[in-house]
Amino acid sequence: MLVALLAAALLQQIDSSPPTRPPRTIAIDERLAADRSIRLGDRLVVSGTSRGVGDTVVVSAFMRRQPDPSEVARAQYRVRMHLDQLQSLINYGDRVDRFAVATRDALTDTAIAAINAAAFGFRAHRSRDIVVETSRTFLVVSRFHRAIGVITIVASAIFLLCIMLLKVDERRRDVAALRLMGVSARSIVRSVMIEAALVAFIGSGAGVAIGWTAAQLINWHYRGVYRTPLAFAAVTPSIIALAVSLSVVLGLAAGFLAAQRLVRVPALELLTGRHEERVFAQPSS
Amino acid sequence: MVLRLAWATLTRNRTRTLLAILGVAVSAAMLLDMVMLSSGMRASFKDLLLSRGFQFRLVLKGTLPFDTDATIADASDITRRLESLADVDAVSPVLGGQLHVDLGDRAIVAMALGGVAAAQGDYEVLDGRAPSSENELVASDAFFTATGKRLGDTLSAGAGYDPQLRLFSGRRVFTLVGRAHFLYLSEGQRAVALPLATLQAMQGERSHDRVSFFMLRARSGANGDSVRDRIAPAVPSLFVVSTEIAMRQVDERLSYFRQLAFILGSVSLAVGFLLVTTLVTVSVNERLGEIVVLRALGVARIRIVQQIVLEGSAIMIAGAIAGLGLGLLTARYLNSILASFPGLPASIDFFLFQPSDAWTALGLLVGAGVLAGIYPSWRGASQPIAPTLREEAVG
Repeated sequence: MLVALLAAALLQQIDSSPPTRPPRTIAIDERLAADRSIRLGDRLVVSGTSRGVGDTVVVSAFMRRQPDPSEVARAQYRVRMHLDQLQSLINYGDRVDRFAVATRDALTDTAIAAINAAAFGFRAHRSRDIVVETSRTFLVVSRFHRAIGVITIVASAIFLLCIMLLKVDERRRDVAALRLMGVSARSIVRSVMIEAALVAFIGSGAGVAIGWTAAQLINWHYRGVYRTPLAFAAVTPSIIALAVSLSVVLGLAAGFLAAQRLVRVPALELLTGRHEERVFAQPSS
Repeated sequence: MVLRLAWATLTRNRTRTLLAILGVAVSAAMLLDMVMLSSGMRASFKDLLLSRGFQFRLVLKGTLPFDTDATIADASDITRRLESLADVDAVSPVLGGQLHVDLGDRAIVAMALGGVAAAQGDYEVLDGRAPSSENELVASDAFFTATGKRLGDTLSAGAGYDPQLRLFSGRRVFTLVGRAHFLYLSEGQRAVALPLATLQAMQGERSHDRVSFFMLRARSGANGDSVRDRIAPAVPSLFVVSTEIAMRQVDERLSYFRQLAFILGSVSLAVGFLLVTTLVTVSVNERLGEIVVLRALGVARIRIVQQIVLEGSAIMIAGAIAGLGLGLLTARYLNSILASFPGLPASIDFFLFQPSDAWTALGLLVGAGVLAGIYPSWRGASQPIAPTLREEAVG
């Protein structure tokens, strides 16, 4: 009896000592670490609710956000912890939100079909399809940018046409002299078009340099604002090719229209400036 | 005389003047759109927040309504505490969730909002009535379309789905008593609203006396800051989101569009300014002889400057007026693109026309037109008369 009581007291003493389970590890968002001055090895208390009982964890890693467009505007911090610990903290039971399944490329369709057929109530999706769905926000922004781009092209075309008209108008006496010397209207139109194309080409070269610099500034600024490695602006070879070719085509069209307007006026009238008087006199006649 | 000379100069080169006006019109349209974009979405969102008169949202600290699945415990007690505060007119507890509707051969999922019909700020009933008993609900147009149901029909639905047991959890039979427009949800979103107690019961123990957030309406004429100061100590575990705080959050999330609007608006203004400056400069250079003749006849330098500035301003004003119509058309088109943002409430307009926007754009353009004309006109009017006349005559 005495031995039993002693054994019970001894066991009771052992049982009442606090558990010495080491704290589990956690990986935290590098933005959270920067904002709260948290370092590797620091101990934190995590809880499922704002005033709930928590678990002590040790910070073992910092995580950087993936360049995911769907997350760019979200300011929430992310942490990675052990599945069983999170389930216990939020009282979630033996449940998960989703499974990620790795397959060999050629077998992905077969695997999806097999999962969908076998697991009633589950639905398997390709990662690519999920990415497309979650990137819808950026697809809308992309469409918006394209629309703004079209308006900019229209404005540029009008600007270019104005400049070419002015340039050609300035040279009307030279053009008149060339015409009187026997140079054909076609040659004059060609020379104006070549000049316009050169202006457009050199201008678009400068535009590419400005665009590249602007893209660097935009990426630097927005990566800082949203704290993401995502690229917000990119000057790719295809964009350069499109911009330069569009610019040259617009320049050629503007040069052609401006030159056509000039060569239709008789050379002598151009030389004496009488075409202006004629045009000027029209409203009152 | 100044007006007649300016008119004569503008009509002398009609093609050039028309092109300049067209160029300014495109710039003006873009400028107007960007002014509308920078202020429109703020105004539109504020209108939406205040559309039902609820000035405050109470959420768990660090979250926004429906940002997370976290819920607030002891909802009944908090509701009573809030209702007892001075100047509080109404408190609306809201619980979010999903409703799995059993359609026999298939099931669809809709967003479910549990609330108190007498004090709700989430929807407007378009047809029928608000739910008054525990097994009634109102639904969005998209829900009616997806289910093929009509007002008065019944349907069977649960708050969850257990794939292992192949059963709907918290299953009930509801009667559709109303068609509603959900203020904070997108146009095509399937949504239903039902009594708070019903949704809590359907979700089981995890939602017992819990809500996602509260909305609070102060009495008319009450000071918002003092109401906020009374709410915060009454519910220390919650964060009080006033309309101003919500607007700041929106500003942060949509700062991209405001910055884009600022950059593109500045570029549009600069392009319009450059266009008019170039045209006026070339025009002045072409007419140096004419200008010095006027000076030689005794016309004051300031009159010549006025005439040339008037030309630039006339191009800008004509372009701006044309650009106003063009801007409204393009704004409608651009708004239709941005309206397809996933999850964006249908009532939000990115491009909201306000008369002040048109005046701002017009004022900026006219200012740019005046500035564009000042330097070339002053330079032209300051040329020495005799040498310039000789140079122009000899060529």
